[in-house]
Amino acid sequence: MRIAFAGNPNSGKTTMYNALTGRSEKVGNWGGVTVGSKEYQLKKEFAGNQEVIAVDLPGAYSMSPFTPEEGITSEYVRTANPDAIVNIVDATNLSRSLFFTTQLLELGIPVVVALNKSDINEKEGTEIDIEKLSAKLNCPVFKTISVNDKNNGLKEMISKAISLAGTIQKPPYLQADINLHDKDAVDAEDRKRYAFVNEIVKDVEKRKVLSAETNKQDKIDAVLLNPVAGILVFAVVMWFVFWVSQAWLGPLVADWLVGYIEAFQGWVAGQLESSPAILSALLADGIVGGVGAVVGFLPLVMVMYFLIALLEDCGYMARVSAVMDPIFKRVGLSGKSVIPVVIGTGCGIPAIMACRTIRDERERRTTSMLTTFIPCGAKIPVIALFAGAFFAGASWVSTLSYFFGLVLIFLGALLIKGITGYKYRKSFFIMELPKWKVPSLKFAFKSMMERARAYIIKAATIILVCNTLVQIMQTFDWHFNVVEEGAESTSILASIATPFAVLLIPLGFGVWQLAAAAITGFIAKENVVGTLAVVYGLTAFIDVDELEMVGGANTVAVTMGLTSVTALAYLFFNLYTPPCFAAIGAMNSEMKSKGWLWGAIGLQLGTGYTVAFLIYQIGTLVTEGHLGQGFLPGLIAEALMVLAVIMIGRKVRAHFDEQYELHKNIKGTEGAAA
Amino acid sequence: MEDKMTLLEAELGKTYTVKEIATDDEDMNAFLFRLGCYSGEPITLVSKKKKSCVAVIKDGRYNLDNLLSEAIVVE
Repeated sequence: MRIAFAGNPNSGKTTMYNALTGRSEKVGNWGGVTVGSKEYQLKKEFAGNQEVIAVDLPGAYSMSPFTPEEGITSEYVRTANPDAIVNIVDATNLSRSLFFTTQLLELGIPVVVALNKSDINEKEGTEIDIEKLSAKLNCPVFKTISVNDKNNGLKEMISKAISLAGTIQKPPYLQADINLHDKDAVDAEDRKRYAFVNEIVKDVEKRKVLSAETNKQDKIDAVLLNPVAGILVFAVVMWFVFWVSQAWLGPLVADWLVGYIEAFQGWVAGQLESSPAILSALLADGIVGGVGAVVGFLPLVMVMYFLIALLEDCGYMARVSAVMDPIFKRVGLSGKSVIPVVIGTGCGIPAIMACRTIRDERERRTTSMLTTFIPCGAKIPVIALFAGAFFAGASWVSTLSYFFGLVLIFLGALLIKGITGYKYRKSFFIMELPKWKVPSLKFAFKSMMERARAYIIKAATIILVCNTLVQIMQTFDWHFNVVEEGAESTSILASIATPFAVLLIPLGFGVWQLAAAAITGFIAKENVVGTLAVVYGLTAFIDVDELEMVGGANTVAVTMGLTSVTALAYLFFNLYTPPCFAAIGAMNSEMKSKGWLWGAIGLQLGTGYTVAFLIYQIGTLVTEGHLGQGFLPGLIAEALMVLAVIMIGRKVRAHFDEQYELHKNIKGTEGAAA
Repeated sequence: MEDKMTLLEAELGKTYTVKEIATDDEDMNAFLFRLGCYSGEPITLVSKKKKSCVAVIKDGRYNLDNLLSEAIVVE
């Protein structure tokens, strides 16, 4: 049996779905969090011995889809024949929600209405007569509070939905027999439906506080939506998140964890004392050391996820989106692009998927192309490693990384705006400001643990395999002889990475070890740290004692042989080149265009290269008074990139002009005929 | 000539009635309708900034940019 969950955006469908199935799908207090449909079995306590599949659908305001996401919902309830529908209704906005409800009731599938967020109504003194409502709609209505563990009304509601499967309800409102292609007739019909809903609401709802009255929340919003104060608050909030996760609480826990990892590594090495040296190197240094180096940074990522989950849960994201809209509009994007960027601080893949709710195609593609410039959770270890080893753990390195990522998003958006010749279209921006709520610590904790689990699994699979391969490839040469000390450049790894390293000379880090780490970074960004640990035989990157700066140098920095300038160039190269393959895959499925995808990869490669080139060359000029190595070849590469951008721009714009010309012709003929 | 008053010129805190959505952008019209913003329905301006405003439509609060509030004719 299948039960579909449908309702308006931000009515709490996914929260309810999670409560009923025990899953932890992404939730957040703004409209449009869920993209694509998800399904899973109901927990035993709700379904009994039956197999009941719950299907969580993206939010929709009506059966006539407006966005592709709404299309999924109306398509599903229309064609997939679910056995029942649970219509989740935001009890605080009955007057809007019931429009969709009356449409669902016409489908011939049994519907149960869940008046969700009933706790907020109780607080605000809004009373809904559910018996009357149920009679008027001719379907069962239940009060639910999905965020509560107990007394949430879920069991009664879902049991009713299960028991109704196969029955038929008489719809309270039937759309008149009209020509659906006649726009005016459809409009008139929709108005009648709304009038019907208004009548019901008037009858069943008693409000103590009218929605139109100014309340405390409006006062908070007035500050947060102020173009100056609001952006300042956003900057401070994000800085605080980064500071706590990467400079204060995160490293504090990490230090403690690293002690255990090192002890374990020592123990493994001890066990292997009598084994061949290669085996010991592979297991203790390669696997445990490399993976350990990555896992050591886990606390930083976890704290970060916890804090971002709190932000997502309280309702702040909608405000950020609204306050940033005017700025993003200037570069041809909109406030909708802000949400992917914030989600992107956690992981690029959900960030790219979140772009789906952006209506305008060009805006959507541009955002999914640029959003990964914001360093994701997997890049935190890379940032932390370089900040620790080369900049005495300075927190400005991390702040700069994020801030610079944002700058690159703006510059990239401007560039794409220029290339695509965007000037005619104006897109409007509207964002529902959901009611503020106290973020749930339990939910944030769950979201954090979920992420930690994914991180550990990744470390134990992809990163483990990569590290093992890297270890093997650097231990042996092509004839599978063990590489001798001093002849490291004959290893398989060195010979593969060297050609790439040559390309990196103008960036200041043209050695094969660093090239190899950057390449494995495309598989997963944590690999940069893992590979560096393996190729340089380093561990315990965040051990504060070891990293104590002694006269501007420490073990890690000395072994890697980078100056502060080249270290920064290398860090930024890794941060701003294309994301991992998984994120590129997500980009591909969102863009649905090979041209845009290759454009994106090209832009990201070009950006990473250019940023590193400028930092190295200018930095060297400033600190040492001369340009760095390979300036001329680098300059030529840059010139070629500029040329490519101009050529692509010209081609794309020519295509646009052609299209535009075509429209004019059509309009012309129309005019002539009239 | 009758001067059309839009949400842009509306007074804060006063509830108006939407008269029409003055736009040739079909999408905008359809989108606002779904939220319950169409002729005959009440609308209240909660706050106003240079480039956007917050308005109450039905029982929800929305941030609208000026492109939208210019199109919402009220009385």
